[in-house]
Amino acid sequence: MNIVVCLKQVPRDNSVAITAQKSIDASGIEMITNLFDEYALEAALHINDSLSGAVTVLSLGQDDWVDQIRRALAMGATDALLINSDAEYDVYTAATILAAATKRTESPQLVVCGRNATDDDSAAMAPMLARILGWSHVTYVSRIVAASETTLELERKLEDEQEIVRIKLPAVISVAKGDTEPRHPPLLRVRKFAKAEIPTLAVSDVVATLPHQPQLVDRVPPAARKSGEIIEGADVASKVATLVDRLIADQAL
Amino acid sequence: MDFTANYDMFLNEEHDMLRQTVREFAEREVLPHIREWDRSGAAHGEGPETRTYIRPLIEKMGKLGFLGICMPVRYGGAGMDYLALAVLCEELERVDSFLRVVASVHIGLNSMTIFQWGNEEQKQRFLVPQAQGRKIGAYGLTEPNSGTDAGAMESTARRDGDHYVLNGEKIWISLSDIADTFVVFAKTDPAKGNRGISCFVLERGMPGLSTYPLHGKLGVRAGNTGGVVMQDVRVPVANRLGEEGEGFKIAMTALDSGRYTVAAGAVGLIQASLEASVKYAKERHTFGVPIGDHQLVKRMMSHMVRKMDMGRLLVYKSGWMKNAGRRNTRETTLAKWHATVSSWESADDAVQIHGAYGFSDEYPVERFLRNSRGGVIYEGTRELQELLQADYALGHREIAPKLRCELPAYNKAEWEAE
Repeated sequence: MNIVVCLKQVPRDNSVAITAQKSIDASGIEMITNLFDEYALEAALHINDSLSGAVTVLSLGQDDWVDQIRRALAMGATDALLINSDAEYDVYTAATILAAATKRTESPQLVVCGRNATDDDSAAMAPMLARILGWSHVTYVSRIVAASETTLELERKLEDEQEIVRIKLPAVISVAKGDTEPRHPPLLRVRKFAKAEIPTLAVSDVVATLPHQPQLVDRVPPAARKSGEIIEGADVASKVATLVDRLIADQAL
Repeated sequence: MDFTANYDMFLNEEHDMLRQTVREFAEREVLPHIREWDRSGAAHGEGPETRTYIRPLIEKMGKLGFLGICMPVRYGGAGMDYLALAVLCEELERVDSFLRVVASVHIGLNSMTIFQWGNEEQKQRFLVPQAQGRKIGAYGLTEPNSGTDAGAMESTARRDGDHYVLNGEKIWISLSDIADTFVVFAKTDPAKGNRGISCFVLERGMPGLSTYPLHGKLGVRAGNTGGVVMQDVRVPVANRLGEEGEGFKIAMTALDSGRYTVAAGAVGLIQASLEASVKYAKERHTFGVPIGDHQLVKRMMSHMVRKMDMGRLLVYKSGWMKNAGRRNTRETTLAKWHATVSSWESADDAVQIHGAYGFSDEYPVERFLRNSRGGVIYEGTRELQELLQADYALGHREIAPKLRCELPAYNKAEWEAE
């Protein structure tokens, strides 16, 4: 079975610092593979361990994403495709591009995404990809129960229960953090793919016309919250009296 | 900041990738559990035999290629150089010393010794499965009544046809209850002193060979340390490493490799102390400012930086010499002496910076302090290293006495060939 794994590069949460001007300090940001995409890759590799085929890592991003893609190859992916762009896309546009790129790979039967990206957190990529490709989809997959060339049996870990879902291929699935931790890349493969050339296409190579994207018109931060106040007083009784007066004055009582 | 930057006079991109790979492994597989594992090793009766995480973890390290890091691919290794071994040890001990100990005994003391002294048949039989991580190796020199004075060992090996019969006990053996093979030393001719010692590879399962765990260690509590008992163990002559009587030289060259891994690990431990201190010094406030603004706290951290960078340079110099095929006993013992003593001092300062919190295992620094203490003792005490350096300077000690087998110089093409 040939599988496509969508891989997004995101900032490491604890590397994001705020500058004195209250904006994000881009210089200190460390970029890593989206956590859930690591689980997606592990799920794909797990399927590929028993059914042979291709596992193609697909990314829409910049040149410097190749490091993460090489790491995915070292983990066990067999192929890679980078759609090179430094533009920002909304989820639907990105899904349009990734769906078209998926069709460029050889007879894909399954697309695996992470549950969501830890930066924009939309969790909409997998359903949108499925809609555009016209394939079935299952979200929140926590475990691959069984896999064959034509069907998948999947466990979904929901809040109150677990579901076992059987799905016919081709399909798109999104993977949540499950019991199986992503495998570490063995050293020999890390070295083998250290300088691997990653096949790269431009957005215009895969999609002729992009959908109309929403335009950001303005961005207004939420109003700052008033800080609290400690009521002073000689003793508890006088503090309470002051507090009650203040609450009445503020029309809270 | 990245404390490992700007060492490209020694390291290349592959070493950086290795560092990243090992760091991810150690931080993901061990860091979340280490406090619990370390505690489990503190209780008497909760010995390593009950600690089920050790073997699966070592197997994972094997599958990733860590356990044959500096061995040629044709011997089952990852085909990297001796500097890669240092990077591996730094990153392992940055998380916990018990991980680095695995590298020290399995790679440094055991596999590299077989690589240096073994014949081709022994390399195929022992080195290949060890480099692949399918078999785990340990090293037995120290005995209940002999440590630094290795020549006073009491273990004996009596020749009997095409076998030797070994009797004696080895103690303070890392991975004693885990290992499959043991490079051990015993006297084939007790009358000849150091020249009467020979080296053997023992295999678990040989009748008369048994192991036991030690309890109540100050540090490295997450790891397995114990004893090896030999009672009339019949060892085929084919398992003798080197010539009869060559054991003492073999033991000393094994320490050239082992001490190198200990030194590199100690640098990683200094870095761990420093990183924990930097984090804490920014978070903790006293007298209205972060404690990192106080000059005496700064001094403790600056000393850690000095010791770490010096240690790293000494270790990499030693690794560079190994790569070049140069004898490095002087440089390696110097690196080991400096780095281990510094790791103890740095962990001590890290505890001080953490104040009362440093006295509790809520923070990792007390573990660093306990773990660092062993390195000042094992694989050559601080005092032995001091004597060696003085003797080299005084000309009392030969820099590179001739050996029948040298550790092979690193050759990239040869190492990477299938």
